[in-house]
Amino acid sequence: MSQDEIFNKVKATLVDALNADDDAVTMTSRLQADLGAESIDFLDIVFRLERDFGIKIPRGELFPESIFQGDPSLVDDGKVTAKGLAELRAAMPFADPAELDKFAADPKLDNMGDLFTVNLIVRYIERKIAAK
Amino acid sequence: MMLKDQVALVTGGSRGIGKGIVETLAKNGAKVAFVYRGSEAAAKTLEAEITAAGGIAKAYQGDVAKPDTAKAIVESVVAEWGRLDILVNNAGVIRDKLFLRLDSDDWTTVLDTNINGTFHFCKAVAMQMLGQKYGRIINVSSIAATHVNVGQTNYAASKGAINSFTRALAAELSRKNVNVNGVAPGFIETEMTEAVRNMAGADNLKKMIPARRLGKPDDIAGVVLFLCSPAAAYVTGQVITVDGGLSLGAVSG
Repeated sequence: MSQDEIFNKVKATLVDALNADDDAVTMTSRLQADLGAESIDFLDIVFRLERDFGIKIPRGELFPESIFQGDPSLVDDGKVTAKGLAELRAAMPFADPAELDKFAADPKLDNMGDLFTVNLIVRYIERKIAAK
Repeated sequence: MMLKDQVALVTGGSRGIGKGIVETLAKNGAKVAFVYRGSEAAAKTLEAEITAAGGIAKAYQGDVAKPDTAKAIVESVVAEWGRLDILVNNAGVIRDKLFLRLDSDDWTTVLDTNINGTFHFCKAVAMQMLGQKYGRIINVSSIAATHVNVGQTNYAASKGAINSFTRALAAELSRKNVNVNGVAPGFIETEMTEAVRNMAGADNLKKMIPARRLGKPDDIAGVVLFLCSPAAAYVTGQVITVDGGLSLGAVSG
């Protein structure tokens, strides 16, 4: 499956899950800020991706939103620490390094949602399919 | 046929209020799966009656208090009918005793069936309903949650938990067009309330009810049907009291 094919299928999944406009979903769209996703939508999206692509997505693997669990060595004063960033990179080997670098430049926990982009999902699924 | 092509699942469906709900949903076009624990003869009779009347119903044996029951039944219903639109958590038991005589078994039996059973079934249907972007969950509570009776600490606790659970779950699922509501019956003529009716005397009970009659399973089923209907699309997180006015506490004049 080519990257384009994966993107189109991911796009269809997101349009369905989020009632998003077709044109609104691009590779760089952020699920929360651009497409209006809320916490329950992340579970719904994972469920739909599993079904639509026939893959298994372990909880917290694609969207490791609770990776820090309030651990003070990982998050301090609302910012992800150097140790936390290292854990995040290790947990998201499929993420675009440029996007992780961008987050590392201003690692506010509030900005973490910006990592969850359409591009991230496409890259994740590429790896999943390749590993099959 | 308001519910044509919809699939419903009702727990505690072979007798009492549950039976009324099963019949009403089937009469309105839904394919209805219902769960019974011990009343096999009643369940098979109900299944046959609905089929004979041109409806579609299927009985499943299972104890809702056991965590694996819900998942197995929900999977089976979805495998057979392809979807699941309506869940009615109706299965409930009573073990009335004064608190000083109530033992932990009386407590856990009631909580396991009434609130844990409701949890297990909600859990089992949630992903299916989110995926469909449509679902109606109706939990059967009781006015005994708010208008308590002596001898029902366990039952009142279980039904109060259902009310809070209903509201909290609605807050999470309604965004995906899965509405969660409750119905709180008053005094309904069923086998479960027979002992109390005999003790108190039906006439004495009626004096406490402004409608001057005990409720029937159909009185509850009608409100369940409303909550499943398009007319109630914007109703979520509510527990609707259906008691002929009993909870008003009015003194008859």
